[in-house]
Amino acid sequence: MNAIEITNLHKNFGEKHAVDGLDMTVPEGAIYGFIGENGSGKSTTEKCICGLIPPTSGQIKLFGKDHKDGEARGKIGVLIEAPGCFPNMSVWNNMKLQAANLGIKNENEEIRRVLHLVRMDGAASNKFKNCSLGMKQRIGIAFALLGTPKLLILDEPINGLDADGMRIMREILADLTKNHGCTVLISSHILGELEKIATHYGIIRGGRMLKEMTAEELNASCPTYVYIKAADMNKALAACNNAFARVEFDEDKDEIRIYDKLSAEDVASYLYSNFGIAVTELGTAKISLEEYYIDLMKEGK
Amino acid sequence: MENANVLQFEKPSFFERLKGMLGVDFYRLFHTPLFYIFIAIAAFIPALVLMGGAQGENAMYTNAWQIIAADSPLYVISNMGQYANMNMVFIFGGIMVSIFIGHDYQSGYVKQLFTTHAKKQDYMISKTLLGAFSMLCMCVTYMIGGMISGAAAGLPFQINAGALLCAILGKMIMSLGWASLYTFINIIFRRKFGISIALCFVLGTGIPVIGAAALVGNSPALNIFLYGSSVYACLSANFISVLVCLACSVVWAAIYNILGTIVLYRRDVY
Repeated sequence: MNAIEITNLHKNFGEKHAVDGLDMTVPEGAIYGFIGENGSGKSTTEKCICGLIPPTSGQIKLFGKDHKDGEARGKIGVLIEAPGCFPNMSVWNNMKLQAANLGIKNENEEIRRVLHLVRMDGAASNKFKNCSLGMKQRIGIAFALLGTPKLLILDEPINGLDADGMRIMREILADLTKNHGCTVLISSHILGELEKIATHYGIIRGGRMLKEMTAEELNASCPTYVYIKAADMNKALAACNNAFARVEFDEDKDEIRIYDKLSAEDVASYLYSNFGIAVTELGTAKISLEEYYIDLMKEGK
Repeated sequence: MENANVLQFEKPSFFERLKGMLGVDFYRLFHTPLFYIFIAIAAFIPALVLMGGAQGENAMYTNAWQIIAADSPLYVISNMGQYANMNMVFIFGGIMVSIFIGHDYQSGYVKQLFTTHAKKQDYMISKTLLGAFSMLCMCVTYMIGGMISGAAAGLPFQINAGALLCAILGKMIMSLGWASLYTFINIIFRRKFGISIALCFVLGTGIPVIGAAALVGNSPALNIFLYGSSVYACLSANFISVLVCLACSVVWAAIYNILGTIVLYRRDVY
């Protein structure tokens, strides 16, 4: 069963088509990385899923049921834009409110559990407004985790988190999906971090789904390459273009990329023996999600 | 990714849903100073009213209970002081409801509420009941404050007990209708609760009804409005006036709840 199934979703704000015929499938148990530029329609889609804004047209199903039904809605944990806590109330009282909202019975135990998960045990008595940005983000995650949701919708949850916070976040999400059958829809611009956890991806542009794929499919689409740097880059580039089928020059990193099955050492030795080019730096790398995404965006423009 | 266990979701009943929403609202009500400040204000209003009232031969109040309700329905008023009875609670109640709902939107907590609660009427009903409860508590503290102020001013307390009971009961019943109106206004203006407060003040003081009364005269037909029924609960009230208050309050509560639910379904809630 799919946790989320969206068919031909449209959401207009006046003349603006924020979501324009979006189709999206999030399999149960997946960590779905939802990627797109600012204003591409990610947050609008997430708000439609949560019932915060009514779609202009289209269908949204949560675990096979219409999202307006409300059966699955009580099992959704949400962190969209900001945690949604009352600033003058303590963290603990904010959590108590959400526990009451979700109808959690052993709420004190559950609140302690989620605060411990995000390492915020000591902040329970703090007023929410006195917490730092990173603390607020962790509390927002704890908010979303209350009651062990079956679907977690996280919009930019990594923003403001320190390295430890990001690691904790990865561990929590991995545990939730593996041990609790939770599905996670996560949007983020920090693609390097997303790449470490996502099992599925959806790339959105202009309110439309540009590409949906699994992590395996992304892996297959992101080839390994040899990168080299030489004292005379122009000569090296000309030599590589003559010798190898696919060669690219990365202006940002000032390096030549060779997409071939040869090892880095083989390439260096070939260039030296045949063209007398001394390679100053070399190695093997893989196209990252970020590079793949940027290329995909360039292709479309 | 296929999960061996098929997820089962329980469809919560109306009462289970409402219990969750009311749980949130009342927990917040009792854990923030707003409610306590307003019930304290309600207790102080009668003293302020008495201090502002004329003394001696021109005394506005000749009986302590007149601080709670006028002798007879006053659709047309000739003196600002004639506002000053338990109806004041409905003005301050509007301000309280506006701040309470405004904070829901300003903090972003509505995201959590509307994600969990697919049925938008839950929000309307819960906020109406919360507003009604708050105004009811304010009525009680106003009454206590009125009695203390009256005693301190040395005013007599003689009254027809039945009529007084009907007047107080009528005013308290009107809390439901007023709360639904204020909830409706606030889901229209949401974060802009300054506008909501101003509008609650205009409607709570009964300016539109007083204006209408200036045109049509002291007509009981004005009892179809919340302000009209609120002043109908006066010191000459009887069982019929309680029933009129009940009918008016419940009907308007139903109307505003239905309208509010439609608005919430059609508009973006966050």
